[in-house]
Amino acid sequence: MPASRVLLGVIGRPHGVRGLAHVLSYTDPPTALTGYGVLEAEDGRAFTLRWCGEGVAAITEIRAGAAVPVADRTAAERLVNLRLFIPRARLAAPAAEEYYLADLIGLAAVDPAGAALGEVVAVHDYGAGASLEIARPHAAPVLVPFTRAAVPEVDPAGGRVVVAVPDEIVVADEDPAAVRCASAHGPDRDATRSQAP
Amino acid sequence: MARSVWKGPFVDGYLLNKAEASRASGRNEIIRIWSRRSTIMPQFVGMTFGVYNGRKFLPVQVNENMVGHKFGEFSPTRTFTGHSGDKKAKRG
Repeated sequence: MPASRVLLGVIGRPHGVRGLAHVLSYTDPPTALTGYGVLEAEDGRAFTLRWCGEGVAAITEIRAGAAVPVADRTAAERLVNLRLFIPRARLAAPAAEEYYLADLIGLAAVDPAGAALGEVVAVHDYGAGASLEIARPHAAPVLVPFTRAAVPEVDPAGGRVVVAVPDEIVVADEDPAAVRCASAHGPDRDATRSQAP
Repeated sequence: MARSVWKGPFVDGYLLNKAEASRASGRNEIIRIWSRRSTIMPQFVGMTFGVYNGRKFLPVQVNENMVGHKFGEFSPTRTFTGHSGDKKAKRG
């Protein structure tokens, strides 16, 4: 099941003597953190932020409906490592075929027949499409591309994803000396050459 | 210094042959490769490769914008751990 609240940032070290602090933002882009309005700490306190520089924010605590700014360095030091959350319901609805990572992580992975595979522990995206890392109980984790073919069904509300683990072809380096220089101008100029031993 | 243009882009020959065979089969499969140095060619578009990063094979879904880059660019060798926050993943 998706988490009831989402971690969006952490207050870091104080900056100067006027109550400013560095804030580590986990939003995309990082400056979007202030757009979420009131952020909640784990102990129930509420805060709002206003960016005053790159990664530096002025912090205001909301106490009984009144805004109390963090005015000096001592007060800012008390907030170091304070984690800031929002309720999951305040995240905007994603576009079609888009899913929040917070919703995907922790889902149970099952195969198309319904047998348990494991649990989604991470979502990777290094510029070549997202992939899900699925931890299996008694085997090494498996990475599957986050495509309709490999993940035909995503059901965050139901707490599961259906994963059709693709077949894997192992390309052995049959002849390390054989390399191909393919021309960018067309296949007719392709040539195979061998490196000197 | 950049690679000379007259040589054309570098790609391991066996990889090109295997990709052609895989495309002909038309199945949902990942081609595991160790060749991080190979250039992504136009005929790889739409295919999924598992590119070894020294520890595991990271899925790389090749699209048109990746042509001309190397496979290794999309399979980092250093572990990056971050928080999900409000980040989203798009299903391809």
